[in-house]
Amino acid sequence: MAPLLEIKDLHASVGDTPILKGINLTINAGEIHAIMGPNGSGKSTMSYVLAGRDGYEVTGGDILMNGVSMLEMESDERARAGMFLAFQYPVELPGVGGMSFLRAAVNARRIEAGEDEIDQLEFVKLVRAKAKHLSINDDMLKRAVNVGFSGGEKKRYEILQMALLEPVLSVLDETDSGLDVDALKIVSDGVNLLRDPARSMLVITHYQRLLNHIVPDYVHILAGGKIRRTGGKELALEVEESGYVGIDDAA
Amino acid sequence: MSASTMQPNLDQLAGLTGVRAGALSRWQETGWPNSRVEQWRFTRLASLEKMDLRPASVAATAKPAAITAILPENSVILSFSNGVLDVAGLAALPDGVTASLLSENDAALAALAASVPASHPVSDLSLAVMTSGLHLEIAGKVEVPIILVFTGDDNGVSSHPVLSVKLAAGASAVLAEWHQTGVGLSAPLMAIDVGDKARLDYAKVQHESAQSAHLAATGLTLGEGSVFEGFQISVGGQLARLETHITLSGENADCTLSAIYLGRAKQHHDITTNMSHAKGHCVSNQIIRGVLDDSARGVFQGKVHVAPDAQKTDGQQMSRALLLSRKAEADAKPELEIYADDVLCAHGATVGELDETQLFYLTSRGIDRDTARGMLISAFLDDAIDSISHPALAALLRPVTTAWMTASNRAQTGDK
Repeated sequence: MAPLLEIKDLHASVGDTPILKGINLTINAGEIHAIMGPNGSGKSTMSYVLAGRDGYEVTGGDILMNGVSMLEMESDERARAGMFLAFQYPVELPGVGGMSFLRAAVNARRIEAGEDEIDQLEFVKLVRAKAKHLSINDDMLKRAVNVGFSGGEKKRYEILQMALLEPVLSVLDETDSGLDVDALKIVSDGVNLLRDPARSMLVITHYQRLLNHIVPDYVHILAGGKIRRTGGKELALEVEESGYVGIDDAA
Repeated sequence: MSASTMQPNLDQLAGLTGVRAGALSRWQETGWPNSRVEQWRFTRLASLEKMDLRPASVAATAKPAAITAILPENSVILSFSNGVLDVAGLAALPDGVTASLLSENDAALAALAASVPASHPVSDLSLAVMTSGLHLEIAGKVEVPIILVFTGDDNGVSSHPVLSVKLAAGASAVLAEWHQTGVGLSAPLMAIDVGDKARLDYAKVQHESAQSAHLAATGLTLGEGSVFEGFQISVGGQLARLETHITLSGENADCTLSAIYLGRAKQHHDITTNMSHAKGHCVSNQIIRGVLDDSARGVFQGKVHVAPDAQKTDGQQMSRALLLSRKAEADAKPELEIYADDVLCAHGATVGELDETQLFYLTSRGIDRDTARGMLISAFLDDAIDSISHPALAALLRPVTTAWMTASNRAQTGDK
């Protein structure tokens, strides 16, 4: 069986600037992988390339999800195929009601899967149940998407979307940034609830802190657009001790 | 330009007297303004001169064509076909509304003409031709919406309905105009006089056929303590200008006049307003939203004038245009002319595109790009539509924007 995600010699540019310079990474079903790296190493670029954002051009290599190349798929097609990106900076959508947004997203996946659209009442119940785990109250649900949310609320709202969409592969882009200890705990607990033998996660972070809560199976160090080292969760602790200095040379 | 080539051709018009004769001679003297006239700089009328138009004849009343509006239940409908009123409809007017025909009432016509600037081309032309002239006098609280429905199917004619609506002191009414003709030119002239402490909820939908021109002139006068809550949507026609002159003539008047224009193909939409605060302690608020696709062009000209004595004026105006295509164009000319020193006035105009980051956020959740665009456009327009508090009018207007976006998405998908 093909791995859940296979990234092969991936090269990508933003404008004329090459950022990713040959990434190789294989994630099997049920695994959590962490990607750590210094600022400017290409971590966020990698998350956008995986999600299919316009302007992030793949110049070589391939991304396969369950054996199928995603390079020709638009971002919405990738999402419906089971890819989810939790944004580092969730986007405010003034005037777009939260519930109708969540429902449109859930229905898009259901229609893709050949299911009926979700019943309105059933949907409200579902959202409330998932929101409770993440300490998201009705007032937050009623507001426009991310508008007037604090940094922590935005991150929790990302995880709520993840919980509703039940993605096959979740990419968490610096989900810990801007979170205090309590918020980090809520978000991590929410993510851990979604651990499942059929699902995988790619956790992108600058700091080791998040990995105490979301414990990875593998840790990769990204620097200069390449994965320089791969190890177990202890690699994160090592980086925490000695920083990223010397990582480039090790490659 | 000589009178003989001027469109519509008025050679048949003779024997006018009084106000209408004056209007005719002014029109024949000046005709359509060219683009050197400042108020018409952004909206060129050259295409009108190429049309072969004759004024719709009062005798030739066609039966009303079907319209797409979902009209509020229990509303009273007055139908105009090719600009000619179906007078039979007047019998259905609710208690409190008195109708009379304007045709030879020179004093009423003079008052009507005075509500828009002198020598205005639409005013002069439509007074001269006047395919129908109707005056409505409203007293007391009239809750039944009165809907003026304009249809017509003869693209060789021009239609010139002339209307005046007067709300007595303390009266209230709900009034809507629905324009869905296929005539060459619709040029409605309208005067609305909202008396002291009266209230009018108003909506206008310009939904003419794709080949039509719609040039409207409306004069609105608000008395002391009166409330006007109005909304305009311009979505049809090849060339459209909705021009409104508002005079806040008594203290504590409250005027909301918001507008949406939606353009595609080579449509040209012009929203022009002139908000004149003649007395103090009045509030005016205008929210203008435009969405332009293909090679469409949108114009907003909004002047807020505050007279020297109009202290404690609160005049707000905000125009935002959204361009969905590189060939679309929006022009805005907001103007403040303030002669009082204790006022709160603000205006602004922006032109932008859909935010790619917002679109990516939506599509990254599996929502297809067309739906995502629709969600963002709806959110953009809701800002303005939410200002309509009358439920029947909101119900009349919302389907218009929804239908426009559905058609827009269809065109997008067709491109692929």
